Amino acid sequence: MPRRPQSPLPRHLAPTMGAVAAVALGLALAQAEPITTREGVLPPGTELNEDLLDQPTELFASELAGGKRSYLVNLGDLLFSSPEILGGVARQAGISCETCHQQGHNNPKLFIPGLSSRPGTFDVTGALFNPKADNGVFDPVTPPSLRGAKYLAPYAHDGRFPSLREFIRNAIVNEFAGPEPSAQVLDALEAYVKEISFLPNPKLAPGGRLSGGASDAARRGQMLFVKPFRKDASMSCASCHQPSAAFVDHRVHDVGSGGWFKTPTLVNANFNAPYFHDGRFDSYAEVVTYFDRHFDLGLGKEEQSDLVAYLAAVGDAKQATTRDTVQAELDEIAQFVSVLDSAIPSRNREVISLTIATVGNEWRELGERFPPQSDTSVDGGLDQRRRARSVVRGLVLVLRQIEMAIAVDDFDGGALAYGEYRQQAAAAAGDLKRTEPWSLFNPVVRDAHLKAIRQLADLAR
Amino acid sequence: MSSSTNIALRIAAALVLFAVLAIAGRAQAADTLVKGAADYKPFAVERIGMALAGAKDLQAAVKAGDLKAAQAAWIKSRKGWEAAEPITGEFFAKLDEAIDAWPDAKQGYHAIEAALFTGKLDGLAAPVDKLVADLGEFDKQLKAPSFKFTPQGLINGATKLAYEIGENKSKGGESPYAGTSLADMVENVEGVEAVYKLVFHEPLKARDATLAARIIDKIEDVEKLVEVKDLKSVDQPALKKAGEELAVLLQNAAAKLKLKKPAVGE
Repeated sequence: MPRRPQSPLPRHLAPTMGAVAAVALGLALAQAEPITTREGVLPPGTELNEDLLDQPTELFASELAGGKRSYLVNLGDLLFSSPEILGGVARQAGISCETCHQQGHNNPKLFIPGLSSRPGTFDVTGALFNPKADNGVFDPVTPPSLRGAKYLAPYAHDGRFPSLREFIRNAIVNEFAGPEPSAQVLDALEAYVKEISFLPNPKLAPGGRLSGGASDAARRGQMLFVKPFRKDASMSCASCHQPSAAFVDHRVHDVGSGGWFKTPTLVNANFNAPYFHDGRFDSYAEVVTYFDRHFDLGLGKEEQSDLVAYLAAVGDAKQATTRDTVQAELDEIAQFVSVLDSAIPSRNREVISLTIATVGNEWRELGERFPPQSDTSVDGGLDQRRRARSVVRGLVLVLRQIEMAIAVDDFDGGALAYGEYRQQAAAAAGDLKRTEPWSLFNPVVRDAHLKAIRQLADLAR
Repeated sequence: MSSSTNIALRIAAALVLFAVLAIAGRAQAADTLVKGAADYKPFAVERIGMALAGAKDLQAAVKAGDLKAAQAAWIKSRKGWEAAEPITGEFFAKLDEAIDAWPDAKQGYHAIEAALFTGKLDGLAAPVDKLVADLGEFDKQLKAPSFKFTPQGLINGATKLAYEIGENKSKGGESPYAGTSLADMVENVEGVEAVYKLVFHEPLKARDATLAARIIDKIEDVEKLVEVKDLKSVDQPALKKAGEELAVLLQNAAAKLKLKKPAVGE
């Protein structure tokens, strides 16, 4: 049975729900590191679901076409991971666009007590991140996947933004209290988001039809998908989820979920749960049951099952996740830092400063994946781990030297320090890759580390 | 003797004199640094003594079943430890691993903290006894007349700690259950300041007064950033930047003082 749709709650009820959920979450999400203290800027029980071993796969349109990521795309990708463009609590907490949209996808385990009704949801008009945007209503929504976003206008669940640019600006300024972004920041973020591709799905042929390998159930489901509704022959599932148009119609509809919301794409949607704007449904089966009842479709159990098989075929992807590795992290950092190739000669202070801060964070985070000596949960590789941490920290400091030089208008000094950074980064790669077996990239080491954290947390229960 | 031979001899003599003076200057600089390192030792002894005294108070309070006294003693002990952090990992790595282990539910400050600051005394006797023993051993080794700090080790430790002060504390920092992470940071800054002022400031001032002044200014910047009412009020990005800048300046100081570039690992 589908759960009853949730109406937005008055804000005063939200903390209670958050607290209950947080207790449950503490038990359920033991694999991660939920926040335990009241001292920090984020509430206890917060789960940002960071440092995934299996990350959502991110593909770039230019690379799929045999080209390369442009300067703008690299800058946008960098800014997407930068807390520096946000304000208030988000900047303090190190939260960036990437926190909610991991690798340009979603974050189904994100949970912030008081702002989330369930994992994978977040109230973007709550008081924590921007008191000025607080609407007094507990109305969390799912941060959507951005795969294929350029085909999916309008933007936001209620479709109030005709362009990605407006949507991005709103997220920075209104949702996360950031300063007004410059034109180059918006250009870059827009270019980056537009580059994020749908993942290939061998089960889908051009025009949104199922390909030859689809199951019989999925084929029967496809027929049902385009079949006119029995109570309104002008409508079918496909009239809103148009197969030839990435399964959207670029419009908002009231489907009884509490307002007008835009048609979500079904492409790669197997990985977009929870479903509906507020994440009320966990599965396609729940969604189909809901629509059967709402539109009085009169579907039998087998027909519902066929529709689910069809949705699962349309929503599939060849490789939804990619294992994170030292090399993958190094590649990403190299793409980010490449913007300095032109930012330093062109004396672009804003980009230099944002790059130093963001890349420095990325190195710091990478360094923490190599446990220190005081992490007694890890055996072996101590010399290698010490070396890895040392070279990473050294790189953070060379980056800082670049900014210190440029702060006093010494661009030649900045360029020299950047040259030193590049040499050190190239030399560091070997050290870091050799240390991977004793790092948190190794599932065995990671499990031992997280087990030790759980044991520590158990002491505090 | 031809005039050209005469000139050559004078140049050679000048070069020899220059080399002798340089060696003498370097030796004098090294002597100054070694003296500074010796001057620093009482500070470290005092802070580790405070950590040990606090741990002993903790031991007594746990035995007496006095939760409030135990919590106060843990905080006192921790305060001493944090100010000594420039030297703990750098000079006493194995003891540091046991005393400041994380994540480790069996030993060290944080295993005790997790239980103690959630209102529990049961099961604390063993880790507290071990903490007292480990800090006692630390204190003994530190006080031994044969133990001497090296200038290189001290600048390594201070640079590393300056870097670590800027680590993001938005999740509660080093001591999330006790809620003393801000106090930890204040003590860390004091620890860096003590090392710099007692050991390196004067010799550096003699070689590069501008750099020496910049380091003092930067330490003050970092101090101001942690002089806030609570952890939530710390400007994290600014603190990270200032901590990194201080670490860079200390690296530059090492070069001026003919020391090796401080590694900021462990």
